[in-house]
Amino acid sequence: MFISGMMAKEPVTIHPDAQISEARELMQVNHIRHLPVVDGSGALVGILTDRDMRDAMPSILLDKESYEMTLAKVLTHTVREIMTKNPQTIPVYYTIEDTLMVLQKKKVGALPVVDEDGGLLGILSTRDLLASFIDVIGLGEPGTLLCILADDRQGQMKKIIDIITEEKISFGSVLVARHWDKDKRAIFPYLLTNNVMNVKKKLLEKGYELIDPMKLYLSQISQKK
Amino acid sequence: MKRTGFLFDERYLLHLPFEGHPESPARLQSIHSRLAVSGVLDKLILINAEIANQRWIEAVHKIQYILRFEEACIMGFPDFDHQDNSICRDTYEIALLAVGGILRVIDEVMNGSLDNAFCAVRPPGHHAEVDTAMGFCYFNNIAIAAKYLQKKWGVGRIGIIDFDVHHGNGTQHTFEGDPTVFYYSIHEHPSFAYPGTGREFETGKGEGVGFTLNSPVLPGRGDDEYKAMILKHLVPAFDSFKPEFILLSAGFDAHESDLMSGVNLTTQGYDFLTDEILKLVDRHTGGRLVSILEGGYNLDVLPILVENHIRRLADI
Repeated sequence: MFISGMMAKEPVTIHPDAQISEARELMQVNHIRHLPVVDGSGALVGILTDRDMRDAMPSILLDKESYEMTLAKVLTHTVREIMTKNPQTIPVYYTIEDTLMVLQKKKVGALPVVDEDGGLLGILSTRDLLASFIDVIGLGEPGTLLCILADDRQGQMKKIIDIITEEKISFGSVLVARHWDKDKRAIFPYLLTNNVMNVKKKLLEKGYELIDPMKLYLSQISQKK
Repeated sequence: MKRTGFLFDERYLLHLPFEGHPESPARLQSIHSRLAVSGVLDKLILINAEIANQRWIEAVHKIQYILRFEEACIMGFPDFDHQDNSICRDTYEIALLAVGGILRVIDEVMNGSLDNAFCAVRPPGHHAEVDTAMGFCYFNNIAIAAKYLQKKWGVGRIGIIDFDVHHGNGTQHTFEGDPTVFYYSIHEHPSFAYPGTGREFETGKGEGVGFTLNSPVLPGRGDDEYKAMILKHLVPAFDSFKPEFILLSAGFDAHESDLMSGVNLTTQGYDFLTDEILKLVDRHTGGRLVSILEGGYNLDVLPILVENHIRRLADI
């Protein structure tokens, strides 16, 4: 799946020579934590994050008078002075998977999305990615999670899916834990139904084991130790 | 012994989902025959159903939804809004009879002819939303009952307890902004069970913040977790809210033998739930409790659990 559908298009931007006061207002009004900095030619020259802003702000431990005085001074400086230069960007043809790996590796909170000439097309935050995962997992729709233990052989998934399809049940998602047990796989179909009784009966009849999710939880705990 | 009402009507068997659907007429038949054989039925005051006036349905559901549901049944559609909600031509009328029977029971409790009651109704109700049928439910029986208590009888504070293994999304959504109706639900954790709502951070909206409380239970946790949650969450919440009337969404599908869920509540666990609820009823509502059947799909166990529940209500 591509990021083009989930990024914020036409994001709010700021000019590098704008004052910090303007940036602060833009971030507050639009409830955003990342402000791409774009020069007159439309090129992305930096990103202003809430972290950059906090670094620039006076300490809240100052007395009120010194705080106000310092703040007034800080706010007249330019965005260029405090922004993060050469920000990590991603091209618009990236997939969710690419983006996840970049976010994890670079430890950033948002990624500007650019075209082939480096022009800004959008911005993708970890929040946007979370929303897409909620969608991918099928969390928004009512359903039931099954936990099935199957042999790690070809064709197991088809059999399970056939049983579920015979009951005319739709899928929200299917997750597979590959190294659950030697020669076994744990399969987690999220079914968009309340009616799981017959499908569970059939799975048991065909010899599948329905796992207790709490055993999975406990095995994860012991693995971490 | 209490004057305990038992709402039942042969017509509740006429709502016929497709062959093999868990929400089958056999559920009520198994309950009725068990109560008859064990002699409990003779000690109850039998209440028959009547058709509910549509204006009470409209207290919860949009009129367009009510008409859409009626039309789906008349047209002979196989299901309504989702394939889970299997219908037949009679389903609309039977759903009206379920609501109407419950409202009659409420009248009997409010005018003092009954102390409390169990309503053996089909179809169930707690998943039904304002304008959507969900999880075998069409009209939200218990939500309509609460509105009726408010509007017809002027009851100030109503407590709804929901121990069906699935979260009562429809009931919660109906009252999440209303500080006069407290909704408490204990159910299997929404990451594992239908319908995926009822997390502990869902605590009401606007004026209703603090009057919705959810206790999700992880799979396999069983009686100990249920007991801890009831004592830690429900009892103090209701002692502070002081409901004048308690309505119960009684679902028996949390039982360890019921394939619809995985929380592993035992028969004794269910007895504990009923006993704790009756203590709350004694402390706050002067005995007024109307218990309404929701889920429960193991036909060997459902009648036993219902009988145990009713024996406690009736004190026999």
